[in-house]
Amino acid sequence: MDLFPLYLTIKVSFTAAAFTIAAGLVLARLMAKRDFFAKNIIDTLIMQPLVIPPTVLGYYLLTALGASSPLGRFLERLGIRIVFTWKGAVVASIVSSFPLFAKPALAAFEGVSADLENAARLLGKTEFEVFRTVTLPLAWRGLAAGAVMAFARATGEFGATLMVAGNIPGLTQTMPLAIYDAVQTGNAFAANVMVGVITVFSFAVLYAAGRFSRVRF
Amino acid sequence: MSLRFSLKKSFPGFDSNVELSAENEMTVLFGPSGAGKSLILKMISGIVRPDSGVICVDGQTVFDSSGGVDIPMRNRKIGFLFQDYALFPHMTVRENIAYGVTSNHKGEKNGRVKELMEIMRLSGLEGSYPHEISGGQKQRTALARTLASEPRLLLLDEPFSALDFQVREKLRADLANIHELFPVTAILVTHDLEEAFMLGQRIAVINGGRFEQVGSREDVFYRPATRNVARFAGTRNIFDGRVAGIRGEEVEIDCPELGVIKTHVPERLGLAGGRPVTFCIRPEEILVIRPDKGLGRVSDNIVEGDILSTTGRGSTHVLHLRAGQAGALLRIELPNFVMRKLGLEAGKRIKVSLKKENIWVIP
Repeated sequence: MDLFPLYLTIKVSFTAAAFTIAAGLVLARLMAKRDFFAKNIIDTLIMQPLVIPPTVLGYYLLTALGASSPLGRFLERLGIRIVFTWKGAVVASIVSSFPLFAKPALAAFEGVSADLENAARLLGKTEFEVFRTVTLPLAWRGLAAGAVMAFARATGEFGATLMVAGNIPGLTQTMPLAIYDAVQTGNAFAANVMVGVITVFSFAVLYAAGRFSRVRF
Repeated sequence: MSLRFSLKKSFPGFDSNVELSAENEMTVLFGPSGAGKSLILKMISGIVRPDSGVICVDGQTVFDSSGGVDIPMRNRKIGFLFQDYALFPHMTVRENIAYGVTSNHKGEKNGRVKELMEIMRLSGLEGSYPHEISGGQKQRTALARTLASEPRLLLLDEPFSALDFQVREKLRADLANIHELFPVTAILVTHDLEEAFMLGQRIAVINGGRFEQVGSREDVFYRPATRNVARFAGTRNIFDGRVAGIRGEEVEIDCPELGVIKTHVPERLGLAGGRPVTFCIRPEEILVIRPDKGLGRVSDNIVEGDILSTTGRGSTHVLHLRAGQAGALLRIELPNFVMRKLGLEAGKRIKVSLKKENIWVIP
């Protein structure tokens, strides 16, 4: 059996999760601490990938990053090709998993009392120290739960990935795409094995997320 | 150590405009809920930015709207005791206190934490988390954490409101003792009259975002500057009248409710005949005349009335008396033994004296 889809899925999910968490942390932190005009609009935009069909999401990305778009041409000049490469799968995974991290992260940051952060500031701590010693430890359960969910979503990405990265065996074929192929070509054994792996993985992820989000304080 | 501020802040439907200076003492900001007491502490500490004004701590300007000075919270060296203490829930008592210590030297830090824990009677709770200790212990932990940072100024926001009635009294005494050990300038906010009197060397009475009176506790209690101050300070007997006659410092007030009342008024007030005035007398300063003894030497402002009701308040009783020509309501507070001795109860008719020196004319 070909192990490439498993390897690619892990590579894509970890890369996507890393980007999602980094960007999500910054955005959630900004949104939790400030009130600004566009806050509601940004909030709605973040949630979009949860409700619009993955194919539509994929189409947006294909149009935005393809060779005919200004951004696509700009990246091409830098030697970066996104569409129909594994990087396209990463971009698709980032966009579709982003709300699953950003939303719980925002809630986790908002759940940290401003009094506690002000108490730390008044005790002479810099903003970074306040974040590291008060905000992060108090929010980390929500952050961890969100990170796990986002990672799981990235591993299961299908529709948008198909549109942006295509389904090229040995190049852009992740596990969900490989399962589709296996079923189409009547390879029941391969399909069963991969479905089994994904099922066990998903269960483990949800179980872990549930444990993380249980509040201790 | 000292504090001086002059601050303005507006919100829709509320604005605050206050000015105060304080030395090494405990100043109590006293006033009803919503008067803007906590807001003042938040502006001094930097949590809320004033619209305009100046804040000086120890001669250092930490905020000046016209000079563009706004020192960040972490550099103000101001201790803040939050209403619910704001202890870090993920840190032990020891870690919470150590968090406040500024020194990075390990031995020095440990010594300081240990010393504070002993002073605050927290020894033995080093490894406990905030949710495992009592309200009083939480308060002392928060106070220790604040003092560990060696603040130039201590701000206390309703420090006893989260505690049971039974422990409040003891903790107030504790706080007074701790303040003697660490004599920093302190501002305490409260809406509790007893607390204000017990802890405030100076009291600033605030209402609607403005100070109505700033003075010693005796001033605020016995010489209120406004009708509101008299009301907040528990002087329930407030009456209006008109100046009927002046002989030096002795003034006669014609009060429609109580009749003619004589009192002393300092000449500096410059009262003129016919001028409307407000005067007041505290419930515990009204003298009940013993029915069996007659008036004796007491001759000031005798008022007769019927007892409407008596209400026990622990060690004292409150009488409501329907008195005078127009049936004015007088509130009188008496120790329980006096109640018993005089056999006072609802329905009885008694005479009371509003002694000249106990009446205060609100300027």
